[in-house]
Amino acid sequence: MPAVPFERIDANAPKTARRDPILVVDDIVKRFETPDGVLTAVEHVSLSVAPGEFVGVIGPSGCGKSTLFNVIGGLLDGYEGTVRVAGERVRGPHPAVGMIFQEESTFPWRNVIDNVAFPLEIAGLPKAERYERARRFVKLVGLDGFERRYPAELSGGMRQRVSMARTLAAQPKILLMDEPFAALDEQTRLLLGDKVLQIQQQLKQTTLLITHNITEAVQLSDRIVVMTYRPGKVKRVVEISLPRPRSSEIVSSEAFGRYVAQIWSDLREEASRGLDDEESRKLREADTR
Amino acid sequence: MTAALANNRYLPPALGIGSLIAFVALVELLIRVGLINRFIVPMPSDIIAAFPRVIVEEHVLSRFLLTAAEAFSASILVTVFGVAGGVMLYRYQLLRRATETWVAAIAAAPLVLMYPLYLVIFGRSALTIVMMGFTAGLAPVILKTLEGLSATRRVLINVGRSFNLTPSQQFWKILFPAALPTIFVGLRLGLIFALINIVGVEFLINFGGLGQLINELAERYDLAGTYAAICFVILVSICVFILTERLERWLRPVD
Amino acid sequence: MAQTGGLTLPTAKPWGLPLRPVTALRIAIIVAVVVLWEALSASGWLYRDVVPSLLAIGRALYATLSDPTFYFHLGTTAYEIGIALLIGGLSGLAVGLLLGGSKFMSRAYEAYLYYLGPCPKIIFFPLMIMWFGVGPGSKVAMGAISCFFPVALNVAGGMREIDKVLIRVGKSFRANTWQMVCKIYLPAMRHPVINGVRLGLGVALIGTLLAETKLSNRGIGFLVIQAYSIFNMPQMYALLIILFVIAIGANTLIGRFGGLDEIKQS
Repeated sequence: MPAVPFERIDANAPKTARRDPILVVDDIVKRFETPDGVLTAVEHVSLSVAPGEFVGVIGPSGCGKSTLFNVIGGLLDGYEGTVRVAGERVRGPHPAVGMIFQEESTFPWRNVIDNVAFPLEIAGLPKAERYERARRFVKLVGLDGFERRYPAELSGGMRQRVSMARTLAAQPKILLMDEPFAALDEQTRLLLGDKVLQIQQQLKQTTLLITHNITEAVQLSDRIVVMTYRPGKVKRVVEISLPRPRSSEIVSSEAFGRYVAQIWSDLREEASRGLDDEESRKLREADTR
Repeated sequence: MTAALANNRYLPPALGIGSLIAFVALVELLIRVGLINRFIVPMPSDIIAAFPRVIVEEHVLSRFLLTAAEAFSASILVTVFGVAGGVMLYRYQLLRRATETWVAAIAAAPLVLMYPLYLVIFGRSALTIVMMGFTAGLAPVILKTLEGLSATRRVLINVGRSFNLTPSQQFWKILFPAALPTIFVGLRLGLIFALINIVGVEFLINFGGLGQLINELAERYDLAGTYAAICFVILVSICVFILTERLERWLRPVD
Repeated sequence: MAQTGGLTLPTAKPWGLPLRPVTALRIAIIVAVVVLWEALSASGWLYRDVVPSLLAIGRALYATLSDPTFYFHLGTTAYEIGIALLIGGLSGLAVGLLLGGSKFMSRAYEAYLYYLGPCPKIIFFPLMIMWFGVGPGSKVAMGAISCFFPVALNVAGGMREIDKVLIRVGKSFRANTWQMVCKIYLPAMRHPVINGVRLGLGVALIGTLLAETKLSNRGIGFLVIQAYSIFNMPQMYALLIILFVIAIGANTLIGRFGGLDEIKQS
């Protein structure tokens, strides 16, 4: 494969993307009060996502990624700065934002089709239309034939696909994902990554993916925002110029390798700061007992 | 035991039933031989022979229906008030923090000894028995309902919040279904305690259905009949709980 | 205001009472119950002394606690329950370990325990009398068969829930069976075992006390029924109060001993 040059955009470059962004995160600062004092999870984080774009946010554990996810999703308040979706300020979960969580989140008491139809049920769609729409999304994630099965009968990867179909069925303008494949093995991840790419391509879905997995981020994203360790700030924004449409085969290309290497060199610094910090914190905890 | 033997479809249950039959046969033998006093333990063959007599003469069916009706009424009361109570405690945090340990304490106390009080208040009637069953079964249901609701996984609540559910939707579509397995455990416990009290009080005050039957037969020194009646009650109890399991499985066709 | 686990309890009510809301509510509930009780008692609405005044109950309580023969009866019941728990508990533990440790045995026999467990054991009382006489023997037997089932079932279930990796660790260090039981199985399943013992205590109490009320001339159950037969209601209430306090106390103690901090876990 020919070498594909990649551009480095540093943190001081303009934060708006080429077209009018549909998601604007502006100067978020979020602090928590803990028994050990005030913890700043994220500090002056800004980013934006254009319609149809796939943006990945990557950082070491403890960089405030999940905090950011909850802030943008409207599940957290008490922060400084604003989040706007299509110009509207976010206060609480915005109807145009769909969230996919890291943990197992299918409803164990509903079968697949009922799980996926859930948001449509809430919206009051009549039964026939609900099921018709839900079936389309079940098919989209590749689970046709499993409509009547219960989550307990499915594998972890399949359950995550159900959660995905459920969120997509609500047809959100923005899809927010928090390490959706964290519980899965590497190979399943890569294949599901393919699925996600296909879906995103098909739906032109605007997506923000929070992850700690570099391969996943580079595989799926148009742009990657690299965060520092706590307090989380934007360290670098990397434009991923790998060709689209992509498939999981891309992971073996040279350009892919170069992106991963570059991001890892950024991340490693932050990750080891995180490790040292964790260790000294635990030592302090043990001492004060 | 090798895994193959353990997983064999018929062998273990066959052993279970087989050893039961062998045990009964052994008892029969020991009694016939005289090693076990036949005036304390009647021969299993006599007990089995007594079955038809007991069933017909002692109107076992109507007694069974009476006990069943009492148990059923107590169960309905326990379910309604127990689940409602648990929901209330979940909803009103202050009330919960004030009274949860009290409810747990009530669950630990042998409430059955209050039956003389109920006798005076409600008279020597089925109502006393139903109320005793209700009292005994209430606390476990409240506690388990509360436990089930509180233990709902955080992520499921967040899914609800991310879809902007109203509090009522959040409760009926997420919290309650998520809590159902634990609620059912509580209902089973409540039923067990209620039944212990119902049959126990029937036995003690010599009124009612199956509990009274055993008491009467014992007082008449009808040995074989007493044993037969006990076996019958055991069978009924087993059937009731198998039924409740089926019911639960039908209501929640999951795992 | 300190935040602990997200919960901030205000330290003063708006009207200046130095009471936490929880305490205030508890006091309010207790006061309401007391008031209602006394009102009911004074009104004579319920038949003949069913709701005696709290003063009368208090007097009976004092009289009972200062009566030496009461302690004789208390001791009898305690002895009966103690032995019952010992017999029922240990055999339940043994059977539970056997069933939990062997899938074969479990599939053969556990169903019997599972379905026999919920059956009210009072029905066996006439048999217990025939086999063990009218004295403490039959009461102990009642208590023992009552508590055997919850203990056995909880132990069996608890064994199956032990994280398999812990068992593999033990085997990799070549622990023998006794060491496995004492150092790995029992500590790993202390929660289900403690819960089984609590449940066992609860049903053993019921079994033994019911047996005492039916046919006995000693023990707390006997005292209760005696008080009822001469319609000495305050005395009966006093006995019930003492009994309930002891039962709740024992339950809490077992829970604390097992490391569970609230009696609600059953």
